[in-house]
Amino acid sequence: MPSAFQYTDSPDPIRPDLADSYRRAWSHLAAPGTWLTGAERVAVADETRRARNCAVCRERKAALTPFAVDGEHDHAGVLPAPIVDAVHRLTTDSGRLTERWYRSLLEQGLTPEVYVEVVGVSVLVISVDRFHHALGLPPESLPDAVPGEPTRERPDGICEGEAWVPMMTGRRVSAEVRLPAPTAPYVIRALSLVPAELKAWQDVSAAQYLAPDQMLNFGNVRAISRSQIELVAGRVSRLNDCFY
Amino acid sequence: MLRASIQYSGSDADVSGIAEGAKAGDAGIEHGERLTAFADAAVTGDDAELATARDALRVVAGSEILVDAAAVVGNFERMVRIADGTGIPLDNVVSAMTSDLVEELGLDALESRRESKAGPLATVFRPVLRGVLETGFRIAGWRNRRSG
Repeated sequence: MPSAFQYTDSPDPIRPDLADSYRRAWSHLAAPGTWLTGAERVAVADETRRARNCAVCRERKAALTPFAVDGEHDHAGVLPAPIVDAVHRLTTDSGRLTERWYRSLLEQGLTPEVYVEVVGVSVLVISVDRFHHALGLPPESLPDAVPGEPTRERPDGICEGEAWVPMMTGRRVSAEVRLPAPTAPYVIRALSLVPAELKAWQDVSAAQYLAPDQMLNFGNVRAISRSQIELVAGRVSRLNDCFY
Repeated sequence: MLRASIQYSGSDADVSGIAEGAKAGDAGIEHGERLTAFADAAVTGDDAELATARDALRVVAGSEILVDAAAVVGNFERMVRIADGTGIPLDNVVSAMTSDLVEELGLDALESRRESKAGPLATVFRPVLRGVLETGFRIAGWRNRRSG
């Protein structure tokens, strides 16, 4: 994606490592994934953007409980209903998702592997789009899908029962992403059922936040100080009703 | 992580900006008020509010910090959804470090916390683990400042 993320009209200079990571993210997004084709992955990205203008999602967000409001999402008509629902709720009201809702998606035929890949693609787009939104920049056009088949490779050594989704062990993830700790925290393990998605978000996260080897270095690595980083991080989490 | 960075830096800052946003003022963190106003506007504000908060942060802190802050917003708009969407529990270390913040930040009221499974080790070893971690952050920061 050499022509994407040029930022020639941005009033604020964008760090080259951020633009580079976004270009890699767009290439990853467009390519055949582990369980989804490139076309399906771009459709998930498109649905993620549609969710912000979905009338049902707005009504649910305003309701005392999101599960009391029935209705069909405003969707593009490309993806199966469970994927559409996963993308829309994840995008617009993630703080009120429940394990019961997740299990209901599985009962509708979604596999944990596809669900994790959908989450990975959706949050990748959200992180890039919200950066643009925060700086008043227009969203980057979605890439054209690359033809080909998904790899359908499920990693060995997956454990169940610690979270809703199956994950790799903390030790294995720590080794895979080269963390400076013997075991990886849950938030890094969360997408490890689909390692390609874990690696993609780690790549963008290293530019937007910190690389793994910078996590325990509380000195300053950017213009923004570590305390300032964590203040913004904590406030964004609080505003999203996230306990983590 | 904010608390750890404060302990490391040896400052008298506090974490009230997370719960109260710009109402907490700077809370001991340089440009804290403008940063939380920007975060609020980026997550919940309309275009006009966001433009105002962005301009205000740029004026006091400059473009580099503005861009860095926007990147952190993007990152944590993703992180919260990964945590919420996969039903991960709090790690023992995080739980130990934040047990007293749960009430202060009103986290027990959150649906996402009720849906999260608690790590059992955190409850048993929380006081010891927290003491070790806090001391470690302070010593590391003191050594860093001393070495210049």
